[in-house]
Amino acid sequence: MNPVLEARQLTRRYLQGESEIVALRNFSQRFEVGQVTAIVGPSGSGKTTLLNLLAGFDLPSEGEVLLKTQERTVSLSRLSEEERADLRLHTMGFVFQQWNLLPTLSAWENVAFPMMLAGVSYRERRARAQALLEAVGLPHRAHHLPSRLSGGEQQRVALARALALDPLFLFADEPTGNLDSASGSQVMDLLLRQAERERGVILVTHDLQLARMAHRLLYLRDGQLTGEEESKRLNPR
Amino acid sequence: MEILALILRNLRSHSVRSLLTLLGILVATAAMVLFMSFGEGLSRALGTELGHLGPSIEVLPQGSSPLGPSYPELSPAVLKQIQTLAPRLGIQHVIPTVLLTRGGFNFNTAFFFEGLPSGVNPATVYPGVEAAQGHLHLHGQAVIGALVAQRNALQLGSLLRLSPQIHLNVVGVLKNSGTLADNLVFVPNRVLQNLMGTNNFSAILISPQPSESSQAIAQALSQAIPGIQAQTTGDLLKFVNKALAISNLFRFGISLVALIVGGLLVANTVMMSVYERIREFGLMRAIGARRSFIFRLVLLESLILGALGGALGLLVGTLGSLGVDWYTQARVGLPLSAVTPRLALFALAIALLLGLIAGFWPARTASRLSVVQALERL
Repeated sequence: MNPVLEARQLTRRYLQGESEIVALRNFSQRFEVGQVTAIVGPSGSGKTTLLNLLAGFDLPSEGEVLLKTQERTVSLSRLSEEERADLRLHTMGFVFQQWNLLPTLSAWENVAFPMMLAGVSYRERRARAQALLEAVGLPHRAHHLPSRLSGGEQQRVALARALALDPLFLFADEPTGNLDSASGSQVMDLLLRQAERERGVILVTHDLQLARMAHRLLYLRDGQLTGEEESKRLNPR
Repeated sequence: MEILALILRNLRSHSVRSLLTLLGILVATAAMVLFMSFGEGLSRALGTELGHLGPSIEVLPQGSSPLGPSYPELSPAVLKQIQTLAPRLGIQHVIPTVLLTRGGFNFNTAFFFEGLPSGVNPATVYPGVEAAQGHLHLHGQAVIGALVAQRNALQLGSLLRLSPQIHLNVVGVLKNSGTLADNLVFVPNRVLQNLMGTNNFSAILISPQPSESSQAIAQALSQAIPGIQAQTTGDLLKFVNKALAISNLFRFGISLVALIVGGLLVANTVMMSVYERIREFGLMRAIGARRSFIFRLVLLESLILGALGGALGLLVGTLGSLGVDWYTQARVGLPLSAVTPRLALFALAIALLLGLIAGFWPARTASRLSVVQALERL
């Protein structure tokens, strides 16, 4: 069985003052490895809320998120904070639109950070971080602080870090939001390549042109799934 | 490595703030070390001083303070009784003495007179003292300590006026011995008794035979002769240490204020740094850092500030203490301040504890942030 991240009847409600806001309503979907899934919708449609729930940053008010692998099936809601952190460390990678890198660490140290959390030896993480920076085309920037890198370079370092422990699922939240189109498509290429390596990519964006590069599109509006589409441009597996 | 790098680079990226906090802990620790070093020095100085004392038993009138014998109250009859008991108790020397202070307790202006019976010279009471000029034998005149001579520009043949009628010649000046003797003027008992119009003595100093126990003799004397108390130098040291313990507590109390201010400084710095880095902590947690990792990270930062400030404070406090020593050594011939290993360890432990307590709350706050709020992913 291929690993699957499954959302079942997810609903997330918030209290804002006296009134209740439903950010996501009855969302069910399976995310498989080897596939890039784009979640699109205007701001306020519940995209970020959905990603927060899928990654275990937040817990749903109703429903559950299941991670099914060959060895086991876990429900994120049943895990403690620390267990969810461990699960994220070993099975998920993240690229956000901003606040992606630790500002006081150099590029290679940022890439090595998850490996340090996982207890990888210094020599090994040094070597692996260098290899990952090469893979994203930034071997010469290893010792630069994030403030010395351009937006596109920062996103590529973040992607290298997201891949540090070779996660099953890669989450990208508006990864090209702040980039020019050349840097944007460079980052997008790297993301698409992960699907070819049997990794699942979940891409959140409001850029429809970008989303069309994915294998599958999910449309969200007002917290509800309003449509689903298989991309014509790429051949799903 | 990344943890230390994270902490040190964060401290360095706000170098002015970190430096000011460090300075706060430094001053607090240095103040504590300096304050407490007085007690340590005093206790050490007195211990050495009493060790230099020849006679190990001091007989005083009942109820008088062991540190400052007042008006002479021990009668010649008491002396006679002790001398009678001496062979049976194993006493080697019985030295009655009269003490007199002139000019208050300021070491720079006061004269401390110690009377000796005829035939006894200062070396009997302070073994090891030697004459730099003249000789040790009083012969009805005065022998003065090195610092007394230095402070008052006295030398061999100088005249000491004790009263309009009583004048003494300086017949000996002692070599600087680093003991109490440096500050004393040794004169015959008779002279001081005449001056005060009494036949009594302030104290009777007793040396036991080498084979006898001071403690046993002191006890036997106290029991045999009513109206006196016999104390050994050990008793005296215990008394002094008890008195010092109270003053230590008082001085620690004062330095506690400095310590609390230092602690609040660290807490403030670490808390500010936590608020500034909320997104960083959020990112770490998102990537897969446990809460305990964030907790350790923040607490370690506070501990490093405490340890570094404490170590530097200890250094500055020790330099200060050496300065005080230099001053008191020059003025009264005694090093009164000391940074002992136990004081150094205590100061470092307090500085670390400061870091620990100050860092605990910020560390807890940082580790409990929710990823969603920290990354503003609402």
